[in-house]
Amino acid sequence: MKPVYIAGAGMTKFGRAEWSLIRLASEASRSALHHANLGEIPVDGVVVANMGAARVNKQTALGSALVDQLALYPAMAEAVENGPASGASAFKVGVQAIASGMADVVLVTGVERMRTVNGLEGTDFVASLSHPEAEYIYGVTLPSLAGLFARLVMDRFGVERKHLAMVAIKNHLNATKNPYAHIQQTVTMEGILTLPEAAVNNPPIAEPLHMFDCCPVSDGAAAVVLVSEDVAAKLGGPKVRVAGIGQATDTHAVHDREDPTDLKAVRLASEKAFAMAELKPSDVDVVELHDAFTILEIVESEAAGFFPRGEGHLALERGETALDGKLPINPSGGLKAKGHPVGATGVAHLVELTWQLRGEADGRQVKDAKTAYACNFGGFGNNVVASVLQREAK
Amino acid sequence: MSDKVYGGKCTSCGTVSYPRRAVCPKCRNESFEKVAIEGEGKVLTYTDVYALAIDYETRYLRLAIVELDSGQRATGQLLADDPKLGMRIKTTIGVVREQGEREIHGLQFVPV
Repeated sequence: MKPVYIAGAGMTKFGRAEWSLIRLASEASRSALHHANLGEIPVDGVVVANMGAARVNKQTALGSALVDQLALYPAMAEAVENGPASGASAFKVGVQAIASGMADVVLVTGVERMRTVNGLEGTDFVASLSHPEAEYIYGVTLPSLAGLFARLVMDRFGVERKHLAMVAIKNHLNATKNPYAHIQQTVTMEGILTLPEAAVNNPPIAEPLHMFDCCPVSDGAAAVVLVSEDVAAKLGGPKVRVAGIGQATDTHAVHDREDPTDLKAVRLASEKAFAMAELKPSDVDVVELHDAFTILEIVESEAAGFFPRGEGHLALERGETALDGKLPINPSGGLKAKGHPVGATGVAHLVELTWQLRGEADGRQVKDAKTAYACNFGGFGNNVVASVLQREAK
Repeated sequence: MSDKVYGGKCTSCGTVSYPRRAVCPKCRNESFEKVAIEGEGKVLTYTDVYALAIDYETRYLRLAIVELDSGQRATGQLLADDPKLGMRIKTTIGVVREQGEREIHGLQFVPV
């Protein structure tokens, strides 16, 4: 495999978008392309990540549409749909194109515009990734799968609602330092858990999970520019290398897993990514996890190999995953507060980590970050892509 | 309307796949016989979900994953007023979703 570098990264502010789907994708792409500063070097390929445009925006063939907006023809182009892991899947496709020698410059753009439909329709569109006969027909939605999972994990490992709240508090605080985050508001333990008013502020969504355990519904786009070693050398500037990517799948229905509390696909995808990178979890300086629900940040932090099983909530409690902790997790604010435009999320992870590794993350910069890890969690854990990035010395 | 929910029992190794699939995950055999997902068991986990999908007009829905005494697991609706982890249940079949005029039948769990 040939080495692959991330030469540029950009995104739109997440939230409720005034722009069309393609305008969102195009703005994030332009920002990433300007960041990469390619000059006369042409873009060979475009990969768009998206989950719901066919249903929610009545638009398909997003690769072709984006190429046209950016006047990048005759570049290769396609869209990748892999549920909530669409972003990192598209990234993987772009990396493969360069690693194989088929392309020198690939633009990977994730986009979702899901606030155009009401909450019911939006929840239903995401629920369509569940098993049609064994889950969906019963009224299963993503929050319900997370609720079923959370109750089991909490019972087995002693995770309490206060730990879930700690994830929300930390990620909301980080998001106040990220101008691209959907929600720029701090929350407190009193406000969401311990005061009587918390019952009103923080109503149940899927018991034991409450509103502040769930990510918001967001519109937005994120993009990275991938380049070959030759192009990276021509561009100069900081070099962020794609050190490893791993992907793993698991059973479609959650009940079908031998141990439904074991995020096996996260574990296997991470092992593969670290093996490819020839690194280990203890080498990592900064992490972006897929905290669509607070419980997921805790369990993913264990499955990815950063903490022993059943101890993620203890590391969180000790402050190890805070921005100034030993292993900052979700400096961007995470899906919890930065927002979760589904197809954009996996790419947005890599945007944040690229900025972190280049020292461009402003008020939320993790000092001397050299190695970074991201987990993009698709389905309810049935399709996971893990990525390891590393800054190379010039 | 179907009065039962079925899994597929591998004709070679006997592993039951529910939901059914084309290839047995244990032995890769490709032929199955229908086996009903039914009987008694216990609640493995449950949730009251307020973030409902379309088609539901209730305030919330009580869902559970159960483990039947046969060892088989299933997701369905839990019709219990005071749910607890590990509580004994048995399966029944009822209307689990209404899509316009169409009634969809599936697994519901009631306390034993």
